[in-house]
Amino acid sequence: MKKFKFKGVKFLLFVVALFILLSIFDFENIPRIMDKFGIILYKIIPIFALVIVLTALINYFLKPKQVMKYFGKDSGKKGLIYALIGGVLSHGPMYAWYPMLDDMRKHGLKYGLIANFMYARAVKLPLLPFMIGLFGLTFTVIVNVYILIFAILQGKVIDFLMKNEKEILKNDD
Amino acid sequence: MKTRNSKPSLKMAFLNSFKNFLSLTPMIFAVIGLVAIFQVFVSPKMLSRFFGHGEIADIFSGTFIGAISSGNGAIAYVVAQGLKHQGISDYALIAFILAWTTLSFTHLPAEASVFGVKFTAYRNLLTFLSTIFIAYLSALSVRLFF
Repeated sequence: MKKFKFKGVKFLLFVVALFILLSIFDFENIPRIMDKFGIILYKIIPIFALVIVLTALINYFLKPKQVMKYFGKDSGKKGLIYALIGGVLSHGPMYAWYPMLDDMRKHGLKYGLIANFMYARAVKLPLLPFMIGLFGLTFTVIVNVYILIFAILQGKVIDFLMKNEKEILKNDD
Repeated sequence: MKTRNSKPSLKMAFLNSFKNFLSLTPMIFAVIGLVAIFQVFVSPKMLSRFFGHGEIADIFSGTFIGAISSGNGAIAYVVAQGLKHQGISDYALIAFILAWTTLSFTHLPAEASVFGVKFTAYRNLLTFLSTIFIAYLSALSVRLFF
């Protein structure tokens, strides 16, 4: 069985050090920062729950071989469409989705589809009415079409650039 | 021993999913901490000072400012609305909103620790360029076809 390991510990230590420095030199702002921290965390807890459930369901219903088929190097247009739809429908901050993408990558998800997913997230369905109000319908449609085109292009370029990258497949047990 | 293609039980699938999530919690807390610090110290008023230097310059400013900003995507629209009232072009605002939602300097260490430095560098560079191209092409399309 693979040994459990925390990721991003050094990054966390860096942020903790930043907090300590701020509490020495600018203590007044620490309660405000802690408030913001709490608000952000509170807002993304439901997304974390969704990500855990989705990852578990993907693991349960899709065998690694199927993940490879739908999202691996030979996934073709289907994989691309799933990645784009997933990106457009996903909510919350990008980092909330890292655990799911990380898990799927270990099962064969290709890098190009991660790039597709990440850029397609620029299409924000709930914010479309706001965007139309700000820029008008025509401009909004044009921008969102370009976002999807560039999401596809990014995936192609990433696949090309990462083609020599070693495949990381997880051995579950 | 299971083979790589065997299907885990539902309980096992949830346990694996939770363990995978748990392994990333230091990274997630670090990002949230950095975003909180950023939101306290960088105000929308501060950001607006970088605009108003011509269309092309504003597209670059929008991309850069969007990339260093962080927070909910809705905030980007609120800031963009304020900037629009100041006469900043739609193209610069699109670059700003796209960069805000797809790029984030505060997320870079986290992204690199999960997906690797190479992927993170390529993806962010491509996203940076895409944002500038989309802003410019949108402007061009509106002028040519509408």
